[in-house]
Amino acid sequence: MSRISYNLRVIWACMKKDIKVSLTDRIFVILGVFLPVNFLILFSLFVLSGGQAPTAVVMNDTGPYAQQFYHSMAGAHSFILQKATASEASRLIQAGRIVAVVTIPADFETRIQNKQPVKVDVDINNLNTDFTNDIRRAVPLSITSFYAKAFPNVVTIVPHETDQYTQDTGYIPYLTVSILVIALVVGGLLQSGTSAAREWENATMKEVLLSPASRWAVVTGKMLGALVMSLASVIVVLAVLIFIIGVHPLHWGAMIGFTLLTLAIFIALGTLLGTLIKQRQAFTGLAFGVAIPLFFVSGAFGPISFNVPILQVIAQITPVYYAIVLQQYAFHGFTLNTYGLAANTLILFGFAIGLILLSALVLRRSTVAN
Amino acid sequence: MILAFLRSVWAITRKDIRVWLSNRRNIAATVIPPIAFLLIQALGSAAVGRSPVALVTLDSGAKGQQMQQIFHNADVFRITDATPEQAATLYKNIQVVAVITIPSDFTQRVEAHDPSPVEVHVNNLNLDFTNDIRRSVPDAITQFYQAQGSTSPIKVTVQEQNLRARDIQLFQYAVLPTIILLLTLSGLVTASIATSREWETRTIKEMLLSPTSRATIIVGKVLAGFVTTFLLGVLVLLLGAALDWTQPVGIYWLTSLIILAMIALFSTGLGVALGAALHKSQPVIAISINVAIYLFFLAGGIGVIAFEPLWLQNIAAYIPLTYGIHALEQAVFYSSSDLFGRDMLVLGLCALAALGLGVLSMRRGIAN
Repeated sequence: MSRISYNLRVIWACMKKDIKVSLTDRIFVILGVFLPVNFLILFSLFVLSGGQAPTAVVMNDTGPYAQQFYHSMAGAHSFILQKATASEASRLIQAGRIVAVVTIPADFETRIQNKQPVKVDVDINNLNTDFTNDIRRAVPLSITSFYAKAFPNVVTIVPHETDQYTQDTGYIPYLTVSILVIALVVGGLLQSGTSAAREWENATMKEVLLSPASRWAVVTGKMLGALVMSLASVIVVLAVLIFIIGVHPLHWGAMIGFTLLTLAIFIALGTLLGTLIKQRQAFTGLAFGVAIPLFFVSGAFGPISFNVPILQVIAQITPVYYAIVLQQYAFHGFTLNTYGLAANTLILFGFAIGLILLSALVLRRSTVAN
Repeated sequence: MILAFLRSVWAITRKDIRVWLSNRRNIAATVIPPIAFLLIQALGSAAVGRSPVALVTLDSGAKGQQMQQIFHNADVFRITDATPEQAATLYKNIQVVAVITIPSDFTQRVEAHDPSPVEVHVNNLNLDFTNDIRRSVPDAITQFYQAQGSTSPIKVTVQEQNLRARDIQLFQYAVLPTIILLLTLSGLVTASIATSREWETRTIKEMLLSPTSRATIIVGKVLAGFVTTFLLGVLVLLLGAALDWTQPVGIYWLTSLIILAMIALFSTGLGVALGAALHKSQPVIAISINVAIYLFFLAGGIGVIAFEPLWLQNIAAYIPLTYGIHALEQAVFYSSSDLFGRDMLVLGLCALAALGLGVLSMRRGIAN
């Protein structure tokens, strides 16, 4: 039998064995499939509001100017408005159901007509400065746009906006693509890492290492097994993203290619870490614990170049950053850095090859004594 | 009798803690990620809400210069003053979200009461950044008019009243849910594995055949998980305090520690119940992580629950961690015990329910 044919048999056997062993643990298989989907759903839930503040407006004046002011607030892209009486609004803000109360005074109409100063009361549940500042900026925006519409000859300074893209992309369609990458990270790491660590925990690694099989073939077989197991969760995640959340890729081929490439990287990383850590418990904790910080550090929320320099440096040493850049291109056609499509893809390939070689090397250097 | 109970509990607790301490990889895997998460959030928060923009001021007149100064003082942008060419390069290289241009005839137009547009080119790739710009530019324009005092054509002004005595920075706000996540994850994972391991290594046989009651075994295991989990929580809280992120004052140190203890007790009890019900560490790890993630997210862990839709707020009301986060925020940020009794009651009942589940699972486990 030729060497190549023997290695192919080893790869096939290792892959088949790992898949069979994984399938015996049904609860873990089911949870392994749905854990990445959980990430997608749960992260998405908490950007549903899109940063818009639930706000009650107490209309003590219902004249045309007061109504126009209300409509300016509604058009400010900053509030989820509801009209309420003063007592209702007070109850809602105390109960934490809304975060701001805007009170239009009873003499609003008269004072505006007479060009007299008028104060709009804004009560804010100042939970944290990020959200509070959005409200603090949105009320002046409403005032300016109210004047620009009601008195175009008086308020002459207005922003004239030119957008780079023909249409705005909502926060959810943008962020869910970044979350997809994190789901791939978690799925790939868990499947491959637990499979590698299991061999050490059950001491079956002894037989593997003592066999005449090439370590490269063993690693390749194990990675392919993890890839097959991960594909189930990838299909579920993509189905949720495309058919339920409704984010359709602009470039299907690129999306599939980048998905497989990302998966390969994290399967290799999982195999490497599983071989080094040798314990499923510690590995699982680490895989999960690494995923959330990676999400925040890798430019998931927007181009990393908009961030502080230290985060830009950290992001660019992780493959997650490049995976997000490429998936945002595949789904929305966005350019998030200046490296170009080919360079970003090559960097990802570099990570994939490097990690595959490293995990094979680590297994090669592993001994039964360890 | 009580002495025997205490001795048994102590022996089980000591054994479980020793096993936990002997596994340094587990300790590292539990402690390092939340600390890394905290540091990353602290770094990232420097950029939150302050988008990088290029400001091109083509007008050297008084109004143009005043507008430029207002943009600088607005504290909502990270501004780079640039020529049109430099601004175009920064925009093309995705170094800035927007280019704001004050046109050369700005002063002339403002003084003549002619329409005076401020040009804004926006990289509108997601609404979070785009809306920041859409809010901030009119905010600066409003400030420009307000600077005119009584001659300002804009007569509407804002009178702001804050519900809370102090503003909390985003990263400070994120520290507490992170501590809660650490407690939940550590409690669930540590306790569930410590329990399921007894079945996997068949040491449960010796424990069950010993003259120790089932309740003693449960209490001993919960106590071991509780001690390690609680200490981790205290460690991160102290780290937050050392960095001046989270610093309870006076008696609120005590209430903060009580809250951490209740959450640690709840998560540990739940972990023991899971471990005793499933008997295998692999599914136990996966379920524990899923449960911890769901509890954390649904309690508003990464967002601000008050900003979320009503249906999500209603779900959060049934998640025990919501009350833990609320109580901890009140104690740490506002030196307040507002609804402390309610929060502790909910957490206490949930911890008791978790312990009850643990005893029940252990009974089922014995029967099996």
